[in-house]
Amino acid sequence: MVTNVTNLSRSGLYDWMAQRVSAVVLAAYFIFLIGYLIANPGLGYAQWHALFANNAMRIFSLLAFVALGAHAWVGMWTIATDYLTPMALGKSATAVRFLFQAVCGIAMFAYFVWGVQILWGI
Amino acid sequence: MLYALGKSLGSEEGFGEVKACLTSVLAKLVIWGLLSALLYHLVAGIRHLIMDMGIGETLEGGKLGSKIVLAVSAVLIVLAGVWIW
Repeated sequence: MVTNVTNLSRSGLYDWMAQRVSAVVLAAYFIFLIGYLIANPGLGYAQWHALFANNAMRIFSLLAFVALGAHAWVGMWTIATDYLTPMALGKSATAVRFLFQAVCGIAMFAYFVWGVQILWGI
Repeated sequence: MLYALGKSLGSEEGFGEVKACLTSVLAKLVIWGLLSALLYHLVAGIRHLIMDMGIGETLEGGKLGSKIVLAVSAVLIVLAGVWIW
């Protein structure tokens, strides 16, 4: 199928699993971050910097970035293949969908690299 | 968000700039909006995981679940607003 070739793994079941595993990672990461900010109302630079300089936090953040990329890709791929179809767009659907997915893929890759730069630049 | 993270981690001045920026009403509204979307997505996602386990998969269960998601999200979003202000 033309729509299948662009999914993350060529397997719907694998994508389904990737979406859920990445969801749990992201939930844990954001609940931790929001909880940390709530628990430390008068947060200063030194403490904030120390948190992200910690190796465990770097690994957790990197894991969250990977999960964000995968989660966003599965989500945007689903939207693209559900709505950017020949039924909605006619003959140009494949080109439009490919361009949309390309922009999404580049954005996710760029965010990932940017995130790594921030984590290892401090 | 990444820009703010990078700036706040990059230097003490950057941290101060981000902190000062976040005191404005507009910035608080934007943060509240982003946090609201995240919280709703999170609550609805947890419901999906619960339904994957086979809980609440009937028509009535689905209707009840969606109402619970809306109610829990609304409470969390109000709490987020209280926290931000």
